[in-house]
Amino acid sequence: MGAGTSPRAVTGDLAAGVDVGGTFTDCAAVAPDGTVRATKVLTTPEDQGLGVVAALEALGAPAGAVTRLVHGTTVVTNLLLERTGARVVLCATAGATDLLDLRRQERAALYDLARHHPAPLVPGDRIIAVDERRTVTGIARQLDAEGCARVVRDALALAPDVVVIALLHAYDAPSHETMLAEAFREAAPGLAVVTAAAVLPEIREYERTATAVAEGYARPGVQRYLERLGDRLRTARFPAPAVMTSGGGMRPAGDAAQHAASLALSGPAGGIVGAAAVLRDAGIADALTIDIGGTSADAGLILEGEPLVEPGGAVAGVPIALPRVLVETVSAGGGSIAWVDDGGALRVGPRSAGARPGPVAFGRGGSEPTVTDAQVVLGRIGSGGWSGGVALDAAAAAAAIGRLAARLGADALRTADAVVRAADAEMARALRRVSVDRGVDPRRCALVAFGGGGPLHACALADALAMQTVLVPPFAGVLSAVGLALAPERREVAASLLAPADALTAAAFSEACEALASRVAGRDRAWLVRVRYAGQGHELEVKAAPGDDGRAIAARFTAAHRAQYGFALSRPVECVALRHVASEPGAGATFRRDAQARPVDAAGGVDHGGPAEGVILVGPRAVTLPDATLWIAGGWRATALPIGGWRLDRETA
Amino acid sequence: MTPAAHAPLDPLELSVWSSAVSMIAEEMGAVLVRGALSPNIRERRDASCALFDVDGRMVAQAAHIPVHLGALPEAVRAVREAGPAPGDVFLLNSPWQGGSHLPDLTMVEAIDDGQGRLAGFAVVRAHHADVGGMSPGSMPQGATELVQEGLILPPVRLERAGVPQEELVALILANVRTPEERRGDLAAQRAACEVGARGWRALLTRHGHDRLAAVASGLLDYAERRATARLAALEGAIGEAEDALEGDGVSDAEVRLRVRLSVSGGALHLDFTGTAPMVRGNVNCPMQVTRAAALFVLRALLPDDVPTNEGIARPIRITTPDDCCLAARAPVAVAAGNVEMSQRITDLLFAAFAAAGVDVPAQGQGTMNNVTFGGAGWTFYETLGGGQGASAHGPGPDAVHVGMSNTRNTPIESLERAYPIVIERYAVRRGSGGAGTHRGGDGVIRAYRVLAPCTVTLLTERRARAPRGAQGGADGAPGENLLNGVRLPAKCRRELVPGDVIELRTPGGGGWGPPPA
Repeated sequence: MGAGTSPRAVTGDLAAGVDVGGTFTDCAAVAPDGTVRATKVLTTPEDQGLGVVAALEALGAPAGAVTRLVHGTTVVTNLLLERTGARVVLCATAGATDLLDLRRQERAALYDLARHHPAPLVPGDRIIAVDERRTVTGIARQLDAEGCARVVRDALALAPDVVVIALLHAYDAPSHETMLAEAFREAAPGLAVVTAAAVLPEIREYERTATAVAEGYARPGVQRYLERLGDRLRTARFPAPAVMTSGGGMRPAGDAAQHAASLALSGPAGGIVGAAAVLRDAGIADALTIDIGGTSADAGLILEGEPLVEPGGAVAGVPIALPRVLVETVSAGGGSIAWVDDGGALRVGPRSAGARPGPVAFGRGGSEPTVTDAQVVLGRIGSGGWSGGVALDAAAAAAAIGRLAARLGADALRTADAVVRAADAEMARALRRVSVDRGVDPRRCALVAFGGGGPLHACALADALAMQTVLVPPFAGVLSAVGLALAPERREVAASLLAPADALTAAAFSEACEALASRVAGRDRAWLVRVRYAGQGHELEVKAAPGDDGRAIAARFTAAHRAQYGFALSRPVECVALRHVASEPGAGATFRRDAQARPVDAAGGVDHGGPAEGVILVGPRAVTLPDATLWIAGGWRATALPIGGWRLDRETA
Repeated sequence: MTPAAHAPLDPLELSVWSSAVSMIAEEMGAVLVRGALSPNIRERRDASCALFDVDGRMVAQAAHIPVHLGALPEAVRAVREAGPAPGDVFLLNSPWQGGSHLPDLTMVEAIDDGQGRLAGFAVVRAHHADVGGMSPGSMPQGATELVQEGLILPPVRLERAGVPQEELVALILANVRTPEERRGDLAAQRAACEVGARGWRALLTRHGHDRLAAVASGLLDYAERRATARLAALEGAIGEAEDALEGDGVSDAEVRLRVRLSVSGGALHLDFTGTAPMVRGNVNCPMQVTRAAALFVLRALLPDDVPTNEGIARPIRITTPDDCCLAARAPVAVAAGNVEMSQRITDLLFAAFAAAGVDVPAQGQGTMNNVTFGGAGWTFYETLGGGQGASAHGPGPDAVHVGMSNTRNTPIESLERAYPIVIERYAVRRGSGGAGTHRGGDGVIRAYRVLAPCTVTLLTERRARAPRGAQGGADGAPGENLLNGVRLPAKCRRELVPGDVIELRTPGGGGWGPPPA
């Protein structure tokens, strides 16, 4: 079953990506010649691994043909959302054992005074005070063997699955954390112990503690999942999987199981890595990305060909301060429900019909009009133009939009148009936020639109942001899976590096760089320093290399600060942390259209994925893609690309 | 967006337009926060941005801090009285002419439509770390006159038709303690205004003056409809309440507040008759702060998705006595009114709603717990969260900012790196929330050991009068301030020697409903 399947035989050396979503598990396999083959099966929530293997088997590739497999998983997200992770006991510095409850003291909602933040992953009665204290100048209270023994005894009495140790100022000097961890290993050799400074060696106790707790909470579940998946894949004669990290790299399964918290945004990262690969082939450097699904849309940013990676962010209310590909999610998608509020205004979302019952047009029992129904009424989605072979019930969609229109006293077509524009407005805001917040002018970026709904909204979003170029990638509906297939293998390590830039010598910096580099293998190596003005809480990351000294780093920081914020200060500069990325190049395929698939039918507006020499279409009109629908708005001209997919340019008047 | 220019805004278009104007205000906020130098704007986000149409009506506001809610229209009114020409950029902070308290510097750009006509106003208010006056930080303990609190700016032109007035900038910077930081923060405000002006001008070019006026009317009418729809459900509600501040900063005598609230004819009437006259210390607040507190309380009764514009404020009618600490006039001091009196008005109004039988939470901590340490060459200021009141919907959240503030804490590790202070204890103050069917939220304990000689200034409230419970719930525990274990007054200043420990225990929220037997 599925989109983009071509009839010809599949050859060997396939790089495969499998992306698990809420409804579908998508698989893409990229051949050395750049052709892509995609499959789609229903997600198996009880064990994602069943769907992963089924999607791979649907490729119909001979045994051994898939030689590389990267997996994007929501297993960590689900553990955090459903609160079904491990039983964690947290050991924290006496006097500061309530950090998880105190958070950063801001309330959950500005005006909804009854709203609570999600409960911490560890309740108060499973937090143990450690009688120790380190300060900026040294140890104020020494942790001794007796203290360790007491903590170990109290913690083990609580029957933990995992023990997390997070002590004040340990980012700089973790000796108390390692001493206590050692005591646990002696007393309970099989027990999993996580130290916070090893997970995130950075200043700011709340974020570091919360991240370490998330690691401990998710690790056993991730381990179990990956082991079972590995067994299944081995039985089916597929290679051992690597897993996509939130930062857009990948880790072999065994390594990933020890870095559970780094997988929290595994899924969305894949899409943006895929978009970056398409941009590279299309020769475009800077872009905003929009991935539109059934319930939500993810906006991202790619600068100089690289997905923007930042530390921070929260998943299911749990802050995870590890590097992650920037993604801003808004509740607007094809399934978003249109309604009329008590002020008489037409509204769209945040409630969604999701996959079940789904839009009215899907005929699965949905009765409330959605964005997809509005698209059907506007004639932008033709019958059969939906992935998964769903036949569309246009009459039912029209009736639902008609009921909404009657409440608003408007006609159905205008109402449908307004529904789509309301969803566009939400998404445009997300795109503006990811760019403007980082000092990037959207007008100098291209827009990459993907996901099932991306190509439908692309022109309107580009219009709203005054962007000139839109790229609809090949396999827009499964681009995340394509991104996984192509992901470079990346390993990251980090260390605290608190030093005034003036005092940092080239020798000391090189030593720090090499200490990190010795911990990971990889062909390409990069070092990134987090830097700030002394006394400020706001940091920027700049590239550096062994041999640089503090002055060189400070100069780069000043230039970056000026570029992003428009000014620089005459204040001293200090380094905060050092991050090292070691990578192997990803599957280096160049996309191309499938010579054996049916050519583009320009008159009928259907792109089967085959040859498209010189095809140019002018809006307004729809084009049915292999796994999505492209809407070319009036004023736009679409050119079929040799790499597959389409490039849209504004028509010059 | 095709309809005739004068046609009223179609319900089909409301949410699209609402997004379009909110997006501009949000973008102003992003540019401000990115460009600002001081941590107070950059990290704590003590700032707000708003967009006004040519008639001075606020169409969108991006607020991080509730105390700025609805206070900005007053600033634009003051600027319009000064006869703005297109391209003029004003700065003001005078509480008597559109300001709140002096550290809040408000910049207003009179937007030029590109053809020399006035098109609207872009407004950015930001709390500056110092604007001169008798003590660093410009929030002086014991001030009795506004001139002691800092440089007073009526609406003055920083730019005349786009031409910077350098002498005025020099005058301002000569009267503050940290001129370079101020210059940077003002530049960020200027950049944010410019983004607002550009965004508004783009809408204007595309849709024309008439259409934009119809849009502004439509958006305000819509927000008003959402607010009046809520008030309609409360029609006939009448409630009275009393509360008090524990001293005005000069004397410990209580400052009494009183309100009679009624909902009739779709309007919310707030009559503060019986409230204390203006006081000698600086807890007075100008009317716009009182209005901001009233607007916050109404906003908390509305669904979260109602857009923030001037329409929400339309149904609010406020009456105060001639001489009233909630409608302060020159020349009294007002610095603490913004931070503590505003909290007390919020408490008072929620109590009046509760008395009227409206479903509102019990009282929260009702203070921002302002703590300032100052030593040789350093100053550290922060505010502390506490307990939120419980409600019919569940227990009150623990350890959060309530009411008119929502700033973040300072990480222990960052604080200890930057200042000669060690945090001995930072904890939830267990059991401080009032008992009830639903418990009030717990307060916070924070103990600071100083490592160098310094001065501590405490500006706190709810140290004597506890946050009250509701519907039979028990009161929260009042807060406590301690120096080496010995109790200190709610508002005080002390010289400290190395080793001294200042400990704040912030109030718990009130409980809701009778406690289980």
